[in-house]
Amino acid sequence: MTRIDDVVADRRGWRAMLGPLERVSEGRAWGYYLLLPSLFLVLAVVLYPTLWGMVLSFREMRLNRIDLGTGFVGLRHYADLIDDPIFWLSLKNTVIWVVGAVVGELALGLAAALVLNRELPGFKFLGVLVLLPWFLPNVVAGHMWALMLDPRLGVINDMLVNVGILDSYRAWFADPNAALFAVLMVEIWHGFPFFALLMLAGLKAIPADLYEAASIDGARAIQKFWFVTLPQLKMIIAATVILRVIGLVNSPDILLILTGGGPGRATQVLSLYAFIKANKEFNFGYASAISVVMFVLLMAFAYGYVKLSNAMKE
Amino acid sequence: MTTRTRRWINNALLYLAATAIGGFAGFPILWTFLTSLKVESDIITSTMIYIPRRITFENYVAIWERSNFPTLLANSAVTTAITVAICLVTGTLGAYALSRCRFPGRREIMMSYLVVRMFPAVMIIIPLFILMREVGLLDSSLGLALAYTAFLLPVFVWMMKGFFDGVPPDLEDAARIDGASRVGAMVRVVLPLVVSGLVATAVFVAIGAWNEFLFALMLTTSTGSRTWPVGLQLMVGEFQLPWGTLSAGGIISIAPVVVLFALMQRAMVRGLTAGAVKG
Repeated sequence: MTRIDDVVADRRGWRAMLGPLERVSEGRAWGYYLLLPSLFLVLAVVLYPTLWGMVLSFREMRLNRIDLGTGFVGLRHYADLIDDPIFWLSLKNTVIWVVGAVVGELALGLAAALVLNRELPGFKFLGVLVLLPWFLPNVVAGHMWALMLDPRLGVINDMLVNVGILDSYRAWFADPNAALFAVLMVEIWHGFPFFALLMLAGLKAIPADLYEAASIDGARAIQKFWFVTLPQLKMIIAATVILRVIGLVNSPDILLILTGGGPGRATQVLSLYAFIKANKEFNFGYASAISVVMFVLLMAFAYGYVKLSNAMKE
Repeated sequence: MTTRTRRWINNALLYLAATAIGGFAGFPILWTFLTSLKVESDIITSTMIYIPRRITFENYVAIWERSNFPTLLANSAVTTAITVAICLVTGTLGAYALSRCRFPGRREIMMSYLVVRMFPAVMIIIPLFILMREVGLLDSSLGLALAYTAFLLPVFVWMMKGFFDGVPPDLEDAARIDGASRVGAMVRVVLPLVVSGLVATAVFVAIGAWNEFLFALMLTTSTGSRTWPVGLQLMVGEFQLPWGTLSAGGIISIAPVVVLFALMQRAMVRGLTAGAVKG
């Protein structure tokens, strides 16, 4: 067979496979057809449940108390929330949790990116190693740290005692004053690679001549960082911070695994409170109300944050 | 101080910082690995033993043979495979449309894919639980995979759109001049060029589905579909799992993640950062 025959046969094969799609693809609605499957899925598994969740927050729904029915209760769940001291405590903890984690992750991520940006021998491997925690599952990350922070067998306790920072082993997760700090440590370990990744991409995008110009003007390293690097990274910092805030507010995973909100309620955050209400007490209505409040607060924060960062840009 | 000594000190400081950061990132993984190789008496000691005195694989045998861990891993694999398949089929088409086709509502749809990430997982989980129970998908791998697409499909679409944007439209135009239809140009010209991006994005989604905990905890109730993160967590609670066994389970379950990540990290990093730097 000659090559031409191959090409013709090949084309016939494709024609047969794609068939009537070829004509459809020339139509004006082609883009919509391509988009339809993913759009349908997102609507079905995100938007519809979200709207339903909002409706649920105005209803009674307890799976373990069928006798209460699923009637409309208006704003009762929200009124209960205002009188619920655990809600306010969770709100306070959420703020500490999110601010602590974002500040720690941003600082460490930026430091890691600044170091990795120098491209010395061996740093490629380091770049892979630093990113790894972000891709590890919460369950394993949690238990790795639980093992290292164990009150009797924890290697971190041993190290801290050896260098003289601690006098004796400490029960990090049982001590109400240390628990939130310990969980923050785990979260920072888990989340800083995300910042490192995006900061590094941002650093690589800064034109070299900006630094050259700064050198000619006699700028020192710290001045270069302050007047060239940071302003150039401003947008990317703004974007990563808001993404991370959303992630931190919405996912209680690591807290659920490590402390379950305890000891007492020292590490109880809003998302965890809502999840426990739904998963343990099956009080879906009240849990939905907590999530709605969380969502509204998050939206308000995001709106203000975007406004503010736009204003700072100008 | 000469420039050379200055540079030397500078590099030494950089390596010091790099070691500190790398140690912080890597030490927990190393420690878990070492623990998984220790005998029980080397773990529970009065003075810390850093390097195992005797290497044992007993912990791996224990988690593999004396628990339902293999079943859990198999369930996770099935759920992950379904999730990736759904994302590959629907997400690739959607990302192509958003990258190449111009139609009213395009920007809004793109934004809405981004905004859905703001919705609290807890708020979605509750109605999904009720919904899945009504259609009989509760406690099934398919149901869980569908739930995973809720947060993974939008990311998939955004990452893939970045890879499609990287293919020059001229190539398609040339194919069209040669008589190819639009779908023909898409399948035969564009798709082969984004295969590496497709693989990287699929790996990203696969890792997300493999690791997921919260949805799985709520939406699976039996060993028929329970995934390994939930199973491992329950084992810790119920059986007071020994640290060595738990570490072995952790190492087994993160092994595929570490291998895939090491192989694909370059392309994955490109996909994850493409949108961020541009915008």
